[in-house]
Amino acid sequence: MSTHEPTRTNDARTHEVADPILEIRDAEVVFEMDRGVSRVLDNVSIDIERGEVLGIVGESGSGKSMLASAMLDAVVDPGILSGEITFHPPDGEPVDVLAQDQEGIRELRWEDISMVFQGAMSSFNPTMKVGGHFEETLKAHEYDVEAGMERARELLADLYLEPDRVLDSFAHELSGGMQQRALIALSLVLEPDVLVMDEPTAALDLLMQRSILALLEELKAKYDLTLVFITHDLPLIAELADRLAVMYAFELVEVADSDSILSRAVHPYTRSLLNATPNLDAPLSEMRPIEGSAPDPVNVPEGCSYHPRCPLADEECVSQDPGFRPTHTEDHLAACFHWEEASEAIPFNIEREVNDE
Amino acid sequence: MNWFIKRIGQGLFTVFAVATLTFVLVRTMPGSPSQRLASQIREQQPNMSTQEINAMVAQRIGVDPDRPLHEAYIEYMVNLAQGNLGESINYQEPVFDIIARALPWTAFVMTISLLFVFVMGLGLGAVMAYREGSRFDVGSSLIAIFLSSVPYYVAAVILIYVLAIELSAFPLSGRYPSDVEPGFTLAFVGGALYHAVLPAASFVITSWGGFALGMRGNSIQVLGQDYIRVAKLRGLTDRRIALRYVGRNAVLPMWTSFLITIGFMFGSSIILEEIFSYRGIGYYMFDSIDNRDYPVMMGTFLVITICVIVAVLIADMTYGKIDPRVEAGGDNEAY
Repeated sequence: MSTHEPTRTNDARTHEVADPILEIRDAEVVFEMDRGVSRVLDNVSIDIERGEVLGIVGESGSGKSMLASAMLDAVVDPGILSGEITFHPPDGEPVDVLAQDQEGIRELRWEDISMVFQGAMSSFNPTMKVGGHFEETLKAHEYDVEAGMERARELLADLYLEPDRVLDSFAHELSGGMQQRALIALSLVLEPDVLVMDEPTAALDLLMQRSILALLEELKAKYDLTLVFITHDLPLIAELADRLAVMYAFELVEVADSDSILSRAVHPYTRSLLNATPNLDAPLSEMRPIEGSAPDPVNVPEGCSYHPRCPLADEECVSQDPGFRPTHTEDHLAACFHWEEASEAIPFNIEREVNDE
Repeated sequence: MNWFIKRIGQGLFTVFAVATLTFVLVRTMPGSPSQRLASQIREQQPNMSTQEINAMVAQRIGVDPDRPLHEAYIEYMVNLAQGNLGESINYQEPVFDIIARALPWTAFVMTISLLFVFVMGLGLGAVMAYREGSRFDVGSSLIAIFLSSVPYYVAAVILIYVLAIELSAFPLSGRYPSDVEPGFTLAFVGGALYHAVLPAASFVITSWGGFALGMRGNSIQVLGQDYIRVAKLRGLTDRRIALRYVGRNAVLPMWTSFLITIGFMFGSSIILEEIFSYRGIGYYMFDSIDNRDYPVMMGTFLVITICVIVAVLIADMTYGKIDPRVEAGGDNEAY
């Protein structure tokens, strides 16, 4: 396990967008452990377009949270992040995120790229009022506190909260949904361009998940945001996202427009993932779990990492990494040798409605 | 508000129970203190009649051995309520005066000790947590464990031997230099501090370790919380995170052990002040046991109990102030 070469080369497989706000190239996160090197993000490259909503989908332990952290150079110690991450501000020079010094990265985080974590309750200091979090953030970034608090109130009101009551409360006095909305407001108080959300709805009930997604859409339009939304719930995010990126075993396996993914996903994993999701229209007997389990980050299978669980896998998949390739269209990328056979081999258990086309 | 009244009521009841217990002890202890006192007086003044002796005993300790138990009990409690703790047999003056003179000195040493224990324990504990696993952390943990296992009176004897006897760096006993007039002068306050160093050090050396280890554990736990990570990403300064986030949240559970320590220190003052001949309340209690000075014994016992109760009461009432999640009574709404 000691030698690991990047299994895919950079340029051929990255879908480049016209006006990227974030360019991620060969992002890799490794943890040195006693039993070997744990590679929890394996040479991921993707562009994020200004103003889009990108959904990153994958099962637990597929590396999606690592990708989110990588965008803010916020991988927890002792993880080592390498690769290249470039932020393109609306005006001004591109910023090399990983080359920033401490002060540079401190300014980049929250001011340009902000983040909402899962578990809002644990994101607030339990002994400090919610308002205190807003004030200290404004002070730490040398923003005008009065104007900032005015903006905070507006944000809270936009999220259908009563600003004064929420600011004067401790986190434990708010309900889960209120905390999550307050946290979203906190992440936007410095007017960032990009908001990375790591499973922001995971701990909420279905109704609250829906309403938060609806609110995000409003916020995005009002504040000109680019949203990166990380979730394991593919159908949930498909409505909000413009584009979806599916992760498996610490790599991206399929990237395409949401509709394209929903209607004609070509990677066997994506198709199985869609079939494994409960749906009101499909009888329970039609649901298909994906056999097997996600690979160990210390010991990812050779070749296509999905081959042990893939019904289409052959010798080529075992020995060679498929690499990203265009499929139906130039914009629908998937890492699979057998993408043309996938839709027949793994039929969808329901027909999904697609808005356009 | 109801909660406060209830809590104070509980405190008052405890005081009442302790007073009753003191009374019962005095009345039922083998060789009865009042009998002993009566016989002492009889020896000194053989001409006195039994009634006169009983009257004197009653005056001294607030207990008349010939009166029915319930009457005596009521009178004792009434005296107590008026602040009358009886009169010392040994010093021939009201117990209240003796305690009023001694208590500030005990409080003085205790305050200094607690201050140092808390600052040293919490400070070192937090630093240990920040450097978890480092040589400093391992070394400090070992020292902390070792020192917390040393009894404070052993530390006191060693300190006296090394610093007072061998090196003559600190006074062996007493509360302030004998050649200085008590008053708010630099010489007096300085001298008092100088004399308090060794007693306080015995407490501090043997008590900081527990606080440091507790604080270390709490801080490590807090450092792993999500809100620390979020705070770092929000760009807060390390100083603010250390104080407002890690410190504040790690200290909360220490508040309880802090109070238990106050009670423990009052208890240990009995032996410690005897070792240092430091005339605080513990010294007089020990002294009263030695001299069978029952009124002083009862009084000091009662006062020490009341101090502990008050300390716990204060802690209980302030906990809601320092931890918003524990509302004392609770006026804040939850939404």
